[in-house]
Amino acid sequence: MADPIILARGLSKRFGDFTAVDAIDLEVERGVIFAFLGANGSGKSTTIRMLIGLLTPSAGTIVLDGIDVGLHPRQVRERIGYMGQKVSLYAGLTLRQNVEFYAGLYGIEAGDLERRWGAVRERFDLAQAEHERPENLPAGVRQRAGLALSTLHAPRVLFLDEPTAGVDVESRGLFWELIQDASDEGVTVFVTTHFLEEADYCDRVAFIDAGRLIADSTPEGLRARYSSGYRIEASLAAGSRERVLAELGRAGFVAEAQGDQLVARIPALDSEGLRRLSLVLGPEAAASVRIEQASMNDVFRRLIREGAALAAPAAGAAT
Amino acid sequence: MNARRLRTLVRREVNATLRDPFTLGVLIAVPLVALLLFGFILSTKVEDMRIGVYDASRSSASRRLIADLAASDSFRPRRFETGEAIERALVRGEIGAGLVIPADFERSLLRATAGGAPPELRVLYDGAEAVLAGNAEAFFAGIARATGAQLVASDVTARRLAGAGAGSPAPGGGVGVVTRALFNPSFEGTPFMVAGTFGFVLSFLTTLLTAVSIVNERQAGTFDQLQLTPASTLEILLGKLLPLGAVFAFDVVLMVIAAGLFMGVWPQGSALLFIAISAFYVVFSLSLGLIFSATSATAAEAVQKTVLSSIPTIQLSGFAFPIRSMPLPIQWFTELIPATHYIRVSRAIYLRGAGVAELLPELAILVLFGAFLLGIALRTLERRA
Repeated sequence: MADPIILARGLSKRFGDFTAVDAIDLEVERGVIFAFLGANGSGKSTTIRMLIGLLTPSAGTIVLDGIDVGLHPRQVRERIGYMGQKVSLYAGLTLRQNVEFYAGLYGIEAGDLERRWGAVRERFDLAQAEHERPENLPAGVRQRAGLALSTLHAPRVLFLDEPTAGVDVESRGLFWELIQDASDEGVTVFVTTHFLEEADYCDRVAFIDAGRLIADSTPEGLRARYSSGYRIEASLAAGSRERVLAELGRAGFVAEAQGDQLVARIPALDSEGLRRLSLVLGPEAAASVRIEQASMNDVFRRLIREGAALAAPAAGAAT
Repeated sequence: MNARRLRTLVRREVNATLRDPFTLGVLIAVPLVALLLFGFILSTKVEDMRIGVYDASRSSASRRLIADLAASDSFRPRRFETGEAIERALVRGEIGAGLVIPADFERSLLRATAGGAPPELRVLYDGAEAVLAGNAEAFFAGIARATGAQLVASDVTARRLAGAGAGSPAPGGGVGVVTRALFNPSFEGTPFMVAGTFGFVLSFLTTLLTAVSIVNERQAGTFDQLQLTPASTLEILLGKLLPLGAVFAFDVVLMVIAAGLFMGVWPQGSALLFIAISAFYVVFSLSLGLIFSATSATAAEAVQKTVLSSIPTIQLSGFAFPIRSMPLPIQWFTELIPATHYIRVSRAIYLRGAGVAELLPELAILVLFGAFLLGIALRTLERRA
């Protein structure tokens, strides 16, 4: 990868005899949404805290936007935004007062603050909440406010540690839209979550288990490697099943007849796969076609089943 | 009552207690330390007190008195050439009391055997150390009167043996003790306690209030966020210390005024100097609170540390119990407690009217303590585990 914005090599963290993070390598491309997934206690938060300089690694190096975090932890601060599991708003201060507090620490002048906050307030739909205290806001609004604050100083990399924990499904959807907006503006987003299905919002996904990186790929790459891929069910007229079955086989699908249905599988369903599928099924007056995608939960379970022994380089090969 | 359930509950509680080294340490150490402090170190008995002696009499009777003082466990006499030298040593804290034996001590003693007025020993105390002076006075008077009685008795016996005849010894043992206190002539306890209370309040309350600040912020997540802003650790530290420092400095002003208006106790020295030194001491105390806070996982742990640290601060700093009455190794240890020096300064300004020049050694020690604790606080906040 040319000039990654985050580059970690041999990153480890030990607490006494316990190894929380075990020699992981990470490369994150500029402008992507990078999901760092794993179960509770797998080492996600420890890794993110090392990457942003809140924890000193036991071993390894981190270079963030060209700056060695270990050597110059303060220099990276203006380039990163961070939102932890607990939204870092001061209770007792209104949202506006919190904004002014952090703006003061980042040296944002009053005029500039009005411009920036005005834009952020609209985008994050926080106008109603501006003069409320965080403790009086619903969790979803508090999360949005936390994200808004972490982007106020226009960071190049946004680190989000379990940002959607404790938030309802609707708010989570809205929250991911905001993350994607940030990414569209060129901000690199490094996000940890234990909601595995959220990986599909991301460009790249890494799995950590018991402190070891066991996979690092695109969501599609992971599905292709660690699941049975896509399952396509087609209900067809009895006369055309044999022909369609043969054509699906020639198009790269593994297909079989199950009762009055055809069931086909393919590891990854990219645009070319979809084109081939439509070429085969398009002319048929199919009663219905149903496409099922393997869930990230299935991918993760299979990853664990196949043994966490999969080292990062091997997982990287699955890309 | 179900025995099995009770056993299960008890077992869990015992395991929880034994698993936590801090709680275990508190459970074992606090009773022992309290027992030793109150029973041994903080006894009101006077032991090994340095007493300056100016012997103007230079007689066998005065030498006997000094020898008796030295033989007691209570006093350790040190000779001085003038009464003024004793006063200076008393002010500097080199001695706990002073004794001036008048030139006519032996002659007066002899006259007393014939019914004359008994000789008078002048004893000087630092009135700023009211408790110490009170304790020591009783011990000294006891020894002096016993010695006087023996001297008179031996003189009467000698005269009888010589057939010269004699009157009865003077009542009370034949020796009078005239006590004079420097700086707090009436040995009034209020100025002594008022001046010491500043030390207690500023040592304990400041530490307690700051002890929970960082640990609470850490639990709320705001401290991580703060550390990720461009603010330096020194800025974060001062951002915490200065506002609280200003509040407590204002408290000091209020206390000075309240003590003056309601108790009639005003500083004999410069009130401004006292407030300035107190403000500095507040910043140092707050640093200690921040250290407790930054090294604790919960607010409860931070409070426990504060309370534990307050035990030596209260008991060994001279706030309530005179340091000069403590065993020598403990006296050395008290020098390691910053409150000891602040309380000394506070009483020196309040009761003796001491100025900067006189307080320089104590102030230098306070500055060193302050710099040391601020440095530790800075390092503790900077530490990224």
